[in-house]
Amino acid sequence: MLWLYLHFPHLLLDHIRRTREEAGALVIVEGSGQKVIQACPDARDQGIQAGMRLKTAISLVPELGMVRADQQQEARILEDQARWLYRYADHIVLVPPDGLMAEIASLQRLYGGLPAVWQTVEQALDERQLTAWPGIGHTPPAARLIARTGKGECTEDSGHILRTLSQMPLLAAEFDARTCTRLQRLGLNTLGEVFDLPAAELARRLSPETLAWVQKIQGARPDPQSPWQPPHHFRQQADFVQEIEQSQGLLFPLQRILSELEEDLCWRQQETDSLLLILHHRHEEPTRLRIRTSGPEHRAEAFLNLIRLRFEQHPLRAPVISLLLSVQRFLGREAPTGQDLLGETQDLNEAWHTLMSRLQARLGDHALKQLSPQADHRPERAWSASAVQRNNRPEVTPASHLPRRPLWLLQGPQPLTEAPSAWFAGPERISGGWWDGQRVHRDYYIAQLNNGQLAWVFRDVRDGWFVHGWFG
Amino acid sequence: MSELLKTLMQDARVWQGHRHVQTSQPAEPTGYQVLDNQLGGLGWPRGALSECLLDSPGIGELHLLLPLMQRLSHSGKTVFWLNPPHTPYAPALAREGVNLDQVVMIHTDDDGDFLWTLENCLRSPVTGLVMAWPGKLASREVRRLQLAAEAGSNVCVLFRERRYVEQNSPAALRLELEPGEQQALKLNIVKRRGSWPGQRCALAMSHRADLSFREAPRVVQGPWPTSTR
Repeated sequence: MLWLYLHFPHLLLDHIRRTREEAGALVIVEGSGQKVIQACPDARDQGIQAGMRLKTAISLVPELGMVRADQQQEARILEDQARWLYRYADHIVLVPPDGLMAEIASLQRLYGGLPAVWQTVEQALDERQLTAWPGIGHTPPAARLIARTGKGECTEDSGHILRTLSQMPLLAAEFDARTCTRLQRLGLNTLGEVFDLPAAELARRLSPETLAWVQKIQGARPDPQSPWQPPHHFRQQADFVQEIEQSQGLLFPLQRILSELEEDLCWRQQETDSLLLILHHRHEEPTRLRIRTSGPEHRAEAFLNLIRLRFEQHPLRAPVISLLLSVQRFLGREAPTGQDLLGETQDLNEAWHTLMSRLQARLGDHALKQLSPQADHRPERAWSASAVQRNNRPEVTPASHLPRRPLWLLQGPQPLTEAPSAWFAGPERISGGWWDGQRVHRDYYIAQLNNGQLAWVFRDVRDGWFVHGWFG
Repeated sequence: MSELLKTLMQDARVWQGHRHVQTSQPAEPTGYQVLDNQLGGLGWPRGALSECLLDSPGIGELHLLLPLMQRLSHSGKTVFWLNPPHTPYAPALAREGVNLDQVVMIHTDDDGDFLWTLENCLRSPVTGLVMAWPGKLASREVRRLQLAAEAGSNVCVLFRERRYVEQNSPAALRLELEPGEQQALKLNIVKRRGSWPGQRCALAMSHRADLSFREAPRVVQGPWPTSTR
């Protein structure tokens, strides 16, 4: 087994920096807000260092951007990293708060050697503008220790790895503070000297845990790692240093997230038709926007256009401090076909989906309807409206078995205010609905009103006369 | 003839009626031979606006467009009903052989949305026919729609009230609809691009309620008092 460990020295900083358009010094402060724990290169150039007090940092750089470290957020960001790493390696272990581990011995044949694996990962890190210190070891702790020193090398030579470990100072070997002091009092300074101690004595004089840790580093004791499984949904969050007041400002981070979604969907060979965009505000309830497309879609550009349209329609209620995009619903991607049986080209199909999605994004989901007849005798129930859907059903033959009906149906029966000038057909008795309480008992006639309108009128049991439709 | 008149006559900016040449604009046959003849053998103009001006529904105005709806919906083009005043009755449309999969009904809340929707529908290649019932339209807005219609190549019919006949409009075809004798539909061509207006015709529309030219109505028995109803 060979493990690759990625140590992210300032993951939160990287995460925030890449959703930022404007440049400027940025630091991460610890939870209590007293100390700087991570500083971006800009800030470092101006003299700010990790570990510095926040007051000192602000006096050095008055316009300093600050973000408070948040454990939950860090865990989430780490998982985002695991998600892309999963494309390259299958056995991944999360090591919170800032480490990822992947088993790479099995990948060597796939990529064509260890250097190729190393290069692939470095390239991926580069694309995402992430700073990570890689390290390779034969055991998970060994890989971790090497990575955290920042001196990881692309080698699978166990002798070399062991030498690197042996030269490591005790302070870097992650013993607990008490053990570390005791070992130092014994006159030991490097990990190699600890390796040389007899195991039984080590356990007896120090503690069995210390021995276990040393053996795990060396690989003499099993150290099983349970692999991480990627969730079946997509979730990405962008956090902002400064509140964003204009929806235009949201489009930039969204573009990046959407292109990651596109990449993700391409990898999964899937598409989606609904996105959930949640905008968090400082003092108000989050805004939830559901972006729907009328058909399966994976292109970032199409989603962005819909979101832009939505923003034009609904301006922001309050400044936004972070946005979250999640996708829960995935659909299998259909193979693009040149032409289907009806001779309809893919192009036209796509144009149809684009148009419907645009209309739905601006007008709302309920503005668009498709009609279909229903099997019921009552005229108001003999039709139904449903959400638009692309159907390529074989053409239906004219349903000439249906009775003659007017093309216009009124929303509800309107009282007949005048005596019709002529009567043409009737009565047609429609009686039904006893089974669901919506009783209808009417005699329908076709009549012409004085102004020439041809109407479908009825008389119901209460002897009232109503117009129910127009023969348009 | 004076010198001034002669130069004016030679100027291409002056349109001369007797030298009128047949313009060939893309069009869809209406499905009514009588009307097609009146429209110069063409029909509904494509890539341009048409207007139907009528007082009240139920005089056969939908049947005027039904042949076009049938044809377009079966050739895979979408038919949009934008803000119809009543519900298009699905069983009746199905009976007439309109492919309901291609019929989309849209309701918009305000005028801004209406114009935006109409423009988007007109520009799309999937659209075959748009039937729209606008509320009030300023002539500037009709002009905007005309430009949008020119961008696509589909038929767009606006249904407006008859009082707008007097108002001028950039639409390529304007029809005034009135009920006629025996449930017929009387048409008056108010405007036709590239030709003279003023043709009139009547289309028999009694089939829309299965009424043939029978003198005696098929009412079995009037349940109403003979004197009043």
